Amino acid sequence: MKYLVMLYDAPNIRENISPELIEQMQALIGELEASGELVSVEALADPAQTQTVRFDQQVPAVTDGPYAEVKEQMGGFILLDVESTQRAVDIASRWPGSVVSAIEVRPLMNPGADPQ
Amino acid sequence: MTDQPLQDLLRELAPQVLGALARRESDFAACEDAVQEALLAASQQWPVEGRPENARAWLLTVAQRKLYSAIRTETARRTREVRDAALTAAMYAGAPDEEPAAGDDTLTLLFMCCHPALSPPSQLALTLRAVGGMTTAEIARGFMVPEATMAQRISRAKSRIKATGVRFRIPSEMERPDRLRVVLHVLYLIFTEGHTSTAGPSLQRVELTSEAIRLARILHRLLPEDGEVTGLLALMLLTDARRDARTDTAGALVPLADQDRSAWDHVAIEEGAALIGATLGTVAAGPYQIQAAIAALHGEAKTAADTDWAQIRALYRVLDELAPNPMTRLNLAVAAAMLDGPNAGLALVAEVEGTGDLDLSHRIYAVRAHLLEMAGHFPGAQAAYRQAAQLTKSLPEQRYLEQQAGRLT
Repeated sequence: MKYLVMLYDAPNIRENISPELIEQMQALIGELEASGELVSVEALADPAQTQTVRFDQQVPAVTDGPYAEVKEQMGGFILLDVESTQRAVDIASRWPGSVVSAIEVRPLMNPGADPQ
Repeated sequence: MTDQPLQDLLRELAPQVLGALARRESDFAACEDAVQEALLAASQQWPVEGRPENARAWLLTVAQRKLYSAIRTETARRTREVRDAALTAAMYAGAPDEEPAAGDDTLTLLFMCCHPALSPPSQLALTLRAVGGMTTAEIARGFMVPEATMAQRISRAKSRIKATGVRFRIPSEMERPDRLRVVLHVLYLIFTEGHTSTAGPSLQRVELTSEAIRLARILHRLLPEDGEVTGLLALMLLTDARRDARTDTAGALVPLADQDRSAWDHVAIEEGAALIGATLGTVAAGPYQIQAAIAALHGEAKTAADTDWAQIRALYRVLDELAPNPMTRLNLAVAAAMLDGPNAGLALVAEVEGTGDLDLSHRIYAVRAHLLEMAGHFPGAQAAYRQAAQLTKSLPEQRYLEQQAGRLT
């Protein structure tokens, strides 16, 4: 089953990230790659670089900055293909806690139907 | 034989060649790589140069050559002083004179790929590659993951085999029933994966379901006396027979009761029903046989109204005793509702609700919705359809459930 693991940055983490933390994250990613559970992983650029396309009565209008003015912005995501929800949550729980304020683990929809 | 499409022939021969090689060589991972290379060579050379007289021997020779040159490279890298002559002697020392029946090797391979030391995703991937002869790219497409991800999964599986010292041999009498159960489960998972990963003609369809059926046929040929193997093959045939009727032209889901029964594959239904009919009652019944018998009853009903619900309920009861699980309970609830009215079914659904199984919760709501609607409780039915829609991870199912909810407003 596929899961999107959404990593929400801890406040000011981008200015304060240490080589040790980067190494820790890379080690975990390397492990997921080796086990064949990693589908993809991406880091996102600074939230300030976001362009938001809003729809007012279905007419698009582009503005600078993220949609929500919140402290917790998504800093990156991991797409996993794992055996169970529990496994996805276990992986998320091993992310270095100081770089994230929260992680959301959300299942993907699949395009087919279950048999029966 | 010569009329057989090349890919079919190669995939049929793949496990036989790999089995023959793995029987005498200790490094399974290297054998597997060598066979894949030989298959690739055959698919490139045979269309140009013609098919060799003895295809299996050709593949075995090429695979062997690839393997030995790989070993030689590897050995040279490690200890440069090893002489070619000594190596050649070692190469042939283990080669048995008598060739075992190809079937035995395929069975041994299946047991090896479905070894309990491997995680289920690894078991699936390795089985499809080593026994099914599929390429990594094809398997990756079937599971909708990047090829690199699947390649890693396969190489992890092979290195686990090496690390845990899994040997190329048939399990002992003692462990055989448990090991066979894992093999059957892996084939069943490949089959269901085929269903969840495909939706209509728009998506590229790598036929995992067909591959699962092909592998189940091979297993049935090897173990014709085993009731559960027969049961699994029958269950796959009977379920897959309804495939084209499960969705309409727009790709929307059609429930069993509303399916166009003329669109069912009646040849497959007949075969599945005959298989299960011949087995049931002759050996101790297992879960796959019971499920196949239920699928046969659905398949043989001329119209939805002709369905033999009494018989189906009896079978679900047996299944519930054999292998109690909430899904069986839910099916039992549906059968009870068809026989004794929706309230009888709802009472059984209420029992399942307490199990807290997250992956089942959408099914519980969907059945509840259906039974509430039967009972005429439309607002309750609508709410339950909505909850089911929110919880399912299948897009066509979600659309179907939303539609049902919308119908009741």
